[in-house]
Amino acid sequence: MRELKAKLFQDLSDAVVDMDEEKAVETSHQVIDEGIDAYEAIEKGLAHGMDRVGELFDQEEYFIPEVLICSDAMYAGVEVLKPHLKGDEQGEKKKVVIGVIEGDTHDIGKNLVKIMLETSGFDVFDLGRDIPPQQFVDKAKEVGAHIIGLSTLMTTTMDGMREVVRILEETNLREQFKVIVGGGPISQSFADKIGADGYAANAADAVRLARKLVS
Amino acid sequence: MSAFSPKERLLRVLDKEKIDRAPVVCPGGMMNAAIVEVMNRTGHTLPEAHHDDTLMAELAFDVADYTGFENIGIPFCMTVEAEVLGSGIDVGTLACEPKIRQEAYPSVSQVEFKEPQALLRSGRINTVVQAAYRLARKHPDYPIIGNLTGPISTAASIVDPMSFLKELRKDKENAHRVIDYVSNVLIAYAQLMVDAGVKVISIGDPTATGEILGPKMFEEYAVPYLNKVIDGIHELDAAVIVHICGKMQSVRHMIPLIKGDAISTDAMVNLKRLKEDYPQLTTMGNLSTYLLEGGNYEDVSRHTRRLVGDGIDIIAPACGLSTSTTIQALQAMTQTVKEL
Repeated sequence: MRELKAKLFQDLSDAVVDMDEEKAVETSHQVIDEGIDAYEAIEKGLAHGMDRVGELFDQEEYFIPEVLICSDAMYAGVEVLKPHLKGDEQGEKKKVVIGVIEGDTHDIGKNLVKIMLETSGFDVFDLGRDIPPQQFVDKAKEVGAHIIGLSTLMTTTMDGMREVVRILEETNLREQFKVIVGGGPISQSFADKIGADGYAANAADAVRLARKLVS
Repeated sequence: MSAFSPKERLLRVLDKEKIDRAPVVCPGGMMNAAIVEVMNRTGHTLPEAHHDDTLMAELAFDVADYTGFENIGIPFCMTVEAEVLGSGIDVGTLACEPKIRQEAYPSVSQVEFKEPQALLRSGRINTVVQAAYRLARKHPDYPIIGNLTGPISTAASIVDPMSFLKELRKDKENAHRVIDYVSNVLIAYAQLMVDAGVKVISIGDPTATGEILGPKMFEEYAVPYLNKVIDGIHELDAAVIVHICGKMQSVRHMIPLIKGDAISTDAMVNLKRLKEDYPQLTTMGNLSTYLLEGGNYEDVSRHTRRLVGDGIDIIAPACGLSTSTTIQALQAMTQTVKEL
């Protein structure tokens, strides 16, 4: 049994890395059929695979098309396993509200950050792209978020990030949420200037930063 | 008195002929300088100028006139192509550029292929072409630069970009068909601009970067379709500038394969070294747009002097300008080049 379990977890992990959605689904069904714990299969199988994908992305072996296809395989497996999770395994996650700031239509980077955060055990509320600053604050209040993640790819929309921090300050909510920023034109010095809690240069960095801020 | 008109100077440098000094330009399109301050002074404003050829021409000239850039660039957005191909557009505001509201197709396999000539009678194509015609007649000493959204970015503006990126691997056949179709439309559009008097076409393709695609996909899709469009424009006897976004590291070795007459890059690329490694390239760029937005005259001037000193062939901003950049900051850049 232990051997079978290890093999199935490895298969799940490989299916994600190999971008093999079918195999991820098939193996997930096998996990259920064998009575293996769904939570463990996600953790040690699918999410493990996504971690490897993250490393390959860091090493510039994989790029965005590959990461997106891998994450499809991961989510396909998660869909099969999710109904078999026990209640207490679904809650308790740290929450992140994420979105691309108003005026910006680019959301490739944000989607990547979302995938990586979810893989790392965060509960991510994705507002999408072209989001007015106030909406980030509203959503963060509504869901009781720990982190607000702001992304932009355009210099013209950087001001919106400053605006989010300003709204939080004005409404005395600044201490309640960590604000992290990223995207092409953003730098650590810009993050410091607008009073954000952190800056991430890429999706893998965003996960490290998010973990640090909520630990 | 300068030996060359701005038009002669830019065309000569793109043709690798001798010039008195580097031109300083801001091509338009993704990299336009329609800043709020210029529009407020002249009253020729966006978003109206996206739709009105007279206003578009006036604003394009205002930009050159107030900032000192040695070209006139149209249009002021990257959505003209996607709009005629069926995507929904949000036209933006004075300070915010137009954007894709909704891509036309969920997947590359669902794209409808239409006759390019019919498409070109729709949307804002004629606005841009008429503006080009007015400008070319009215300002014969200026090079009019017509801007194209590159084939990969246009394709990713008509097909949902997440699906599109995945399908570059998962449905290569249809991905190639869509990008090839888009390339044909771009060439036909470029022809209308050239016929109206545009001498230089600038292609910005922000989705076609090493960071997004990686070297394999860049080689499979970006290089051949950029070259297809470039070849098509060269046949029209116009010059081509290609702007490559991002750090470029993973695709740097492929840059010489791109057949444009000048390569423009983002601020993080060391253009001097690029030129040393590939002396055949005509380089353009790459003054940080954050520096420009910061607006400190001395900083802008110093960095501009460095670019000129490094032998960069055409001095230009590195990326899309913030619309809150000041006239003074842009003048610091253009005057520095002209006074050296």
